[in-house]
Amino acid sequence: MPRRIAADSGNQNIYGAALEFAGPYRSDSLNNQSIAHVHGGSDRLRVDREGIGMNFDPQDPSSRRPRQRPQLTRRDVLRGGLWLSAGIGVAPLLAACNKQTPAAQQDGGAPYPLARPDSPVTLPIKDSNSAIADGLEPETGGVFKILNYSDYMAPGVMKDFGAKHNVQVEVTPYNNYDQMLAKIREPGESFDLVFPGPSVLSKMVYTDLIQPLNHSYLPNLKNVWPEYQDPWYDRKAQYTTPYTVYTTGVAYRADRVSTVPEVGYDLLWDKEYAGKVYLLDDPGEAIGMSLLRNNITTDINTGDPELVQQATDKLIELIDLVNVKTTVSAYSLIPEGTATVHQCWSGDMIAGQYYLPKGETTDVLGYWLPSAETDRVIGNDVIAVPAAAAKPVLAHAMINDLLDNAISLKNFGWNGYQPPLNKLSPQYLIDQGYIPDNLMNTVVLPGDFKNGLTFYEVSPSTEALWRTSWASFKAGA
Amino acid sequence: MPEPKAGYDRATRRLWPLLAAPGVLWLIAFFLVPFYAVMAVAFSGTIDIFGEPIPAWNPLDWQFGTFTGVVSDSVSGTFQAVWTRTALYSFWALLICVAIGYPVAYYTARLAGRRRGLILALILAPWWINYITRMLAWVNLLQDDGYVNNFLRLFGVTPISWLSGNSFTVVVALAYGYLPFFIIPLFASLDRIDQRLLEASRDLGIGPIRTFLHVTLPLSRMGLITALVITALPMAGDYYTNTLVSGSPNTNMVGNQIELFLLQGPLKNLGASLVLLLSLLLLVFMAYYLVLTQRASRDAR
Repeated sequence: MPRRIAADSGNQNIYGAALEFAGPYRSDSLNNQSIAHVHGGSDRLRVDREGIGMNFDPQDPSSRRPRQRPQLTRRDVLRGGLWLSAGIGVAPLLAACNKQTPAAQQDGGAPYPLARPDSPVTLPIKDSNSAIADGLEPETGGVFKILNYSDYMAPGVMKDFGAKHNVQVEVTPYNNYDQMLAKIREPGESFDLVFPGPSVLSKMVYTDLIQPLNHSYLPNLKNVWPEYQDPWYDRKAQYTTPYTVYTTGVAYRADRVSTVPEVGYDLLWDKEYAGKVYLLDDPGEAIGMSLLRNNITTDINTGDPELVQQATDKLIELIDLVNVKTTVSAYSLIPEGTATVHQCWSGDMIAGQYYLPKGETTDVLGYWLPSAETDRVIGNDVIAVPAAAAKPVLAHAMINDLLDNAISLKNFGWNGYQPPLNKLSPQYLIDQGYIPDNLMNTVVLPGDFKNGLTFYEVSPSTEALWRTSWASFKAGA
Repeated sequence: MPEPKAGYDRATRRLWPLLAAPGVLWLIAFFLVPFYAVMAVAFSGTIDIFGEPIPAWNPLDWQFGTFTGVVSDSVSGTFQAVWTRTALYSFWALLICVAIGYPVAYYTARLAGRRRGLILALILAPWWINYITRMLAWVNLLQDDGYVNNFLRLFGVTPISWLSGNSFTVVVALAYGYLPFFIIPLFASLDRIDQRLLEASRDLGIGPIRTFLHVTLPLSRMGLITALVITALPMAGDYYTNTLVSGSPNTNMVGNQIELFLLQGPLKNLGASLVLLLSLLLLVFMAYYLVLTQRASRDAR
């Protein structure tokens, strides 16, 4: 058999994750040029990262279109020949070596470098997918289609924009990035603006789902925090501009929860609130939270099947314990009182004040996040223009609007998600009365990202692992 | 009976397949082709960069690992609970359908007299309203401070959270949603029972209960089975009823799991495998039903 990195999973649930990335020394992979072979029914996760790296060359202009199978490059052939000459006998030995280096599993199978704050990535720009030319007039008329979380942009902002440019602004909502990717890739579908995050970015660039930005249309980019002028996931902000920053914590009804435990995640496991406990409908956030709460690991991007399984088992406990449900609507469920405890993003609770029924004050809202900065889950969302956008110039205009201090403030005043703009400093937002006193901890400071935990883009095998685990939770087993 | 002419015979022989052609084409375009696509996804051996299966259109490329994995996990593993729930919920919902639907169909067919048209119209009236709207009406009734809980509070009952993963609510909603499908075929069958057989039974001095048990019930057996099949098939694959009145992993049925895989992420090969498995199971029931109807029509002759 060819060499493999075998990560023992020891569980039956993740056969979907049992990917095997065949290297080029395998004659069948040379012929089929398949990216990955799924061998279901197996309970092991086999990853051969070298092989995939060879099959995928991000620089290769011929592997441009989404879903196109990778082409055989000269390097592949050379390396393949090397491997053949090295002989298959050596392979198991090497596999055993690789198994011992955890770093090998980290980006196992990703055909592009995985961006990390300590290893920033400059996303490639291809001739075939270049930015729009300078000095074009924004398109007018028809529909401007946005792919976004629901209630993530103020209707007033969209209305103004529509009136200004004589277009009808339309939002197609999704609950998580998996859904977003499914929608943006739907054949025949084209959106003008999309709001991804760093954890799915390289993949979207690699498959030409988004186009490079032309900064000449984005004078307001200077308004954003310095780190986002040149972020680690997209050096020089070639494809994205930041949209919002947020932490992940636990929202609760302060009038029903008498004492908040030191580890606020425990509220989710509290039988007292059974039937009114909600998780974020997001595999990463939910399983990641379980990893932290149950002291399994602080690596919320782990590819270790054992650890992910432990975290998932703990989530499955919640089904019988508190009849848990999953949504991304904490901003309405907590104020309405439908939920007593809801894992949520910080912006949800700032927005929550606008969803309170008549007669209730913001005192009923509560937000908990870990006291130690190093335990906090922190993230940011970005704005990008899909490659298939029908109105790319107008899309640039909207991005520039969203980075405008006044428009951004209006947007924040509705969706509650803090934009990382210099002028809209936390103190300014507090002074302006946007953030109630009891929700001060929802504010994100620029320095928080240095110590916090962030979801990164991970290898396909790790993604598959998290997804199948999430599916087993959803099955309510 | 006069012999038909030879020419006529040949013409009819050509006519029948011609008449069947639209139906056959329909089946091919909207059943066989999509079904093949489902198989191509379920038996796909390769995934793309998004983790989505690349359909294997050539049967020679088919790999059955994912499918067998899903089967074994359905027997004992992740999906076992989902299948058990589907079976149990469908069973109880069908039982409710029989308990409510049979008397209604019986009354409409046998006793309603002149009001029969009105009653039929009333049974069908909910169909004028969109299914989802009707289910949302249940949400209004059953929510924590909804009408049902307010009513119960009058009797000092503590409010029940009907909508957060309550199996009972799901069963009731399923029964409610599919009840008309159950009543109509049953009504048709009860309506067709020869009145004279019942009169004969009465003339022979048999009471109404025994008449029902020994005449009406056996004669309506095929109608009852048809009604059960027509109701059970969509129930087994239903997911939106559940999504609207529960949405909790606690009550997830196989339809919800399929929806999760097919619409909410890239693991479409798992979803397609579940679809195939569900189709296979339902096919067994359908085959049994066809055998029964075949036997019944043979007995009738």
